[in-house]
Amino acid sequence: MQLFIDSILYSYAQIFFSNRKWFGAGALLISFFDPAVGAMGLLGVILSNAFAFYLKFDKEKIRTGFYGFNGILIGAAIAFFFQLTPFLVGMAVIFIFLSFFLAASLENLMANLFNLPGLSLPFILTLYVFLIIIVNFPGVNFRDVLGDSTASASYLPQSIHLLFSSLALIILQTNALAGALLLLLILAFSRVMFLNTLIAFFINYFVVIAIFPNPSSTFLILTSFNAVLVAFALGGSMIILSKKTIPLLALTILFVIIFTLFFENILSDKLLPVLVLPFNVVTLSTIYSLKFREENTDLALLYFKPGSPEENYYYHSSRTARFKDFKYLLPELPFHGLWKVSQAFDGEYTHKDDWRYAWDFVITDESGKEYSDEGNSQSDYHCFNTPVAAPLDGTVVRVINSVHDNEIGEVNIEQNWGNTVIIDHGEGLFSSLSHLKKKSITVEVGDKVKKGQIIGKCGNSGRSPYPHLHFQFQLTDKLGDKTYRYPISSYIAEGEGEKNLYVFDFPRKDQIVGNLDAHKTVKTAFDFKLGDKLEFECTFGHEKFNEKWEVKVDIFNVLYIENNSGDRLNIYKLEKMFYATNYIGKRKSALYYFYLTVPKAPLGFADGLQWTDVYPLSTALGGIVKYLSEFLLIFNEPIKAEGHYIWRKNENNNFEIISKLTITGKNIFSFYKKENNGTILLESELGISEFKFLNNGKVFLAKRIRSK
Amino acid sequence: MSKKIYEKPIIRKQQSGLMNKFGSTQSFRAINAIDGIPIAKLTEEYGSPLFVFSEKQIRENYRKMNRIFKTRYPKVRFAWSYKTNYLSAICSVYHQGGSWAEVVSEFEYDKARNLGVAGENIIFNGPDKTEAALEKAIKEKALLHIDHFDELYSIKEITQRLDLKARVAIRVNMDTGIYPPWNRFGFNYENGEAMLALKRIVHEKNLELVGLHTHIGTYIMSAEPYRQAVLKLVDLAKALYDQYEIRLEYIDVGGGLPSFNTLKGQYLEAEQILPTYEDYAEAITSPLFDLNLPTDELPTLVLESGRALIDDAGYLITSVIATKRLSTGKQSIIVDAGVNYLFTSHWFNHKIVPTKEISGFTENTVVYGPLCMNIDVIREDVVLPPMHKGDKLVVFYVGAYSVTQWMQFITLRPNVVLISEEGNVDLIREAEQLEDITAREKLPERLKEFTLDG
Repeated sequence: MQLFIDSILYSYAQIFFSNRKWFGAGALLISFFDPAVGAMGLLGVILSNAFAFYLKFDKEKIRTGFYGFNGILIGAAIAFFFQLTPFLVGMAVIFIFLSFFLAASLENLMANLFNLPGLSLPFILTLYVFLIIIVNFPGVNFRDVLGDSTASASYLPQSIHLLFSSLALIILQTNALAGALLLLLILAFSRVMFLNTLIAFFINYFVVIAIFPNPSSTFLILTSFNAVLVAFALGGSMIILSKKTIPLLALTILFVIIFTLFFENILSDKLLPVLVLPFNVVTLSTIYSLKFREENTDLALLYFKPGSPEENYYYHSSRTARFKDFKYLLPELPFHGLWKVSQAFDGEYTHKDDWRYAWDFVITDESGKEYSDEGNSQSDYHCFNTPVAAPLDGTVVRVINSVHDNEIGEVNIEQNWGNTVIIDHGEGLFSSLSHLKKKSITVEVGDKVKKGQIIGKCGNSGRSPYPHLHFQFQLTDKLGDKTYRYPISSYIAEGEGEKNLYVFDFPRKDQIVGNLDAHKTVKTAFDFKLGDKLEFECTFGHEKFNEKWEVKVDIFNVLYIENNSGDRLNIYKLEKMFYATNYIGKRKSALYYFYLTVPKAPLGFADGLQWTDVYPLSTALGGIVKYLSEFLLIFNEPIKAEGHYIWRKNENNNFEIISKLTITGKNIFSFYKKENNGTILLESELGISEFKFLNNGKVFLAKRIRSK
Repeated sequence: MSKKIYEKPIIRKQQSGLMNKFGSTQSFRAINAIDGIPIAKLTEEYGSPLFVFSEKQIRENYRKMNRIFKTRYPKVRFAWSYKTNYLSAICSVYHQGGSWAEVVSEFEYDKARNLGVAGENIIFNGPDKTEAALEKAIKEKALLHIDHFDELYSIKEITQRLDLKARVAIRVNMDTGIYPPWNRFGFNYENGEAMLALKRIVHEKNLELVGLHTHIGTYIMSAEPYRQAVLKLVDLAKALYDQYEIRLEYIDVGGGLPSFNTLKGQYLEAEQILPTYEDYAEAITSPLFDLNLPTDELPTLVLESGRALIDDAGYLITSVIATKRLSTGKQSIIVDAGVNYLFTSHWFNHKIVPTKEISGFTENTVVYGPLCMNIDVIREDVVLPPMHKGDKLVVFYVGAYSVTQWMQFITLRPNVVLISEEGNVDLIREAEQLEDITAREKLPERLKEFTLDG
């Protein structure tokens, strides 16, 4: 039953691209401004969803209102256009079923053909069929739809009245007050959507007034209602908010006007209303065309479960910041110990043009020199004869092992690459290690190599005036092929007394870099495995409670921790990294504070190792400041939540992460700054033994309960 | 006929006296300061003789050795060999660099604990671990490197009595091709004793087998024996995994790396004949990859190098007490530091250099210590210019073993100072006084009174 009620409320919310039940409930109530329309809409959704359950469609999809909202629209539209009679209601029932089938088939057709949603096309098609055949039946009377709409609230300025009316028309209401209430719902739901609604409406309003000396109120209302819907869809719901959102809205609203004119002209003979047709055409074509860009760095299409425009933005921006150069293959630096990057991407010597994405590495000593003594002979160089390792598992596909090592200062341009090993890592990725020492290569073509396995020694062969290692990724097994930009999955850079962790990053010139070594204690502590159970004794201020965690996996193979009150933290594990990817649940739980304390951790320990992360604001901050700041989100990100973490050993020799979560506002929010400190303590066999987080002077402390 | 006793051949430079009118060429370069601190200033403040350690050199050596090993193997851990030099200040420099402690007695164990090293970061080696020491070490989770079966039984008994788990490894000895083989420590590889010991440990539920240890000898002058040793340990590690699915946390190859101090009987200078540390590192690390494990699962390589890390960071300043031409015509000098401070001069021809340029013919000179004992000879032959009473000399390569093996014999032991990287001089061990020695003595009442007849 709960599921059914949810499915109804979410269906109403869906019309406004909202995922809140209260929004749906509000819209449901508002739809009864015109009781006939409201009742028929409700009948539509009940029938659609019941039918979907009966036919065993995906329950989760029904719950989100996916099949219901077209039912609401068709039911409401029939009551909107005609005076209800028993016959008509009977016809409506049939067409509600028809709209359901159309929705279900269009969903698949659109998804398969264009990878697009069906939006309200099923509704339009069903309605047109209905309108065309219904004239064959006697005793069907049209209602005077827009006749009484202008009178009801004439004390409002014409434009505001028009705004309200066009909002009301979304759920086929004619009363401007209904629209006003909907606008309030929108404001409560999303500041971004609220602003977008106003922006879209006024752009449309002024453009229409400027172009047409005397536009009909029907044309005005049609264009503005479609413009507002386009703003809903493209202003943060289906396309993630960015600086280009407003220009995109402005442009698409012009298209809305054009298509409204166009459809009005071709449909008027057939006595068919234009309704949401322009919105569907403009939205779908915009989204479809955006799919074919080379880069998706802005105006990104929604690729996850939709939320409010704000939530979509927070999720996307933190995800892009956290996983910008994420790749599924996890290469490491092709050596052991610390080496210095002597030439990086777009280097000043040879890493140019097609060969720009390559690295040269050397070893420097305590005083920063690459060699001892005078540096006149190969063996003076620290890196000469030092082992070179495979960056990633793979198969050796090319070995050149017989080029002589140059005297210092000489180069061998004929055999440019010198002694080289090329490894095929599968998935189309190859790596090439060059200038190795003559006869030092210990692998042969066809050998399988493991990440970290020694394949040869650093030398001075080929175009190498002094010993160094040249390393590049490429897409073929060709010697000296053009380079491919592929990140190192994790590495540590040392310098100026700091040790910093880089994940999916590209070593930069002069950095002293080395691989991160996994540490058993840390790896065990963050190695949440399916079925693992943990229990914590928590104190928050004066409150005391116990919280139980269990590690589960969902149907999408997402690993998550669920606590005994149903809060959920998604986690993601890589070979050497732990990520908490998303938290859904209430704010007073150990799980939430665990997430705030350490959303990302390397699975290795190095004293003083530092790293950073960003949080989606929606999980790090709540309350009025966040609410207000979201009015500015369409221009820039007014408040940011960032974390800084450092590994330390405490006095008992246990590992500890000291974390700091800073929330900083800028521009008019620059008054806002909050710093929260946390620590998490590990014990060698137990794993996580304790964590605490200081939130606004109140400490959340969770102590692991040891199970015997 | 009984078998003849083997004697090592010795090559010695032919001494043929003055070859030309200028005498032997001056083969030393005087040293007048250590790390920028004038020697005259050091002796003025701290007296003579004086041990001087250079923190800069210690740290440089340590960083260099780290670099050499860590660029060849992903997981490397140094454990500072306490017996090489257990002055608190010196140990602390290594601990600051991340070294664990390697101890061979309860005294050394307690010393490491006093300095703040956690039990779990102490490797407890050696044939003599008392019951009390074992109990303490087990409670503090130290790593016990078992030397013999009797020790294994003791540990078993203690862990059962206390209901605690002990983290253990065994020391393995093997034929690595060097002579003499050090087969008195640990369990032998070739005769199967090592595997037998491992099996016993595996079947004890209170013993957690975490590593394998060997120490093939000291001042090993070739890298190849290390390769042999590691190959044999790797073989044991593979067998452990194949038979019991045990993955070891570490493989400890001990120490024994030489410093560039020249052994007696060595014709050429150490620098000219010893392999480089890179060669040793290569020989030690490359067989570990034969384990064929992903990088993360490779055991940590533990190194207990002492001498190679500290020897050239220690200096002994000594003063000439007298000069004497011997009856054979050979020149000799007597200095104020003898074999009581330089136990190592029994094996090494320590480099000895004056602290100022001195003109005149250089000639082969005997350097005697101040003890009234015939054995007190620091160098039998060293080319020195004519020295005079009060002149200072610096003895090199005295960082390892000198300040642990030195004796309070006939005289008291001198000051030890450490020059910091910034050039500050810290006294890290005060010269002994009469009370230090007599404080521990008990004089029975009846012996207190005596009169000496004129």
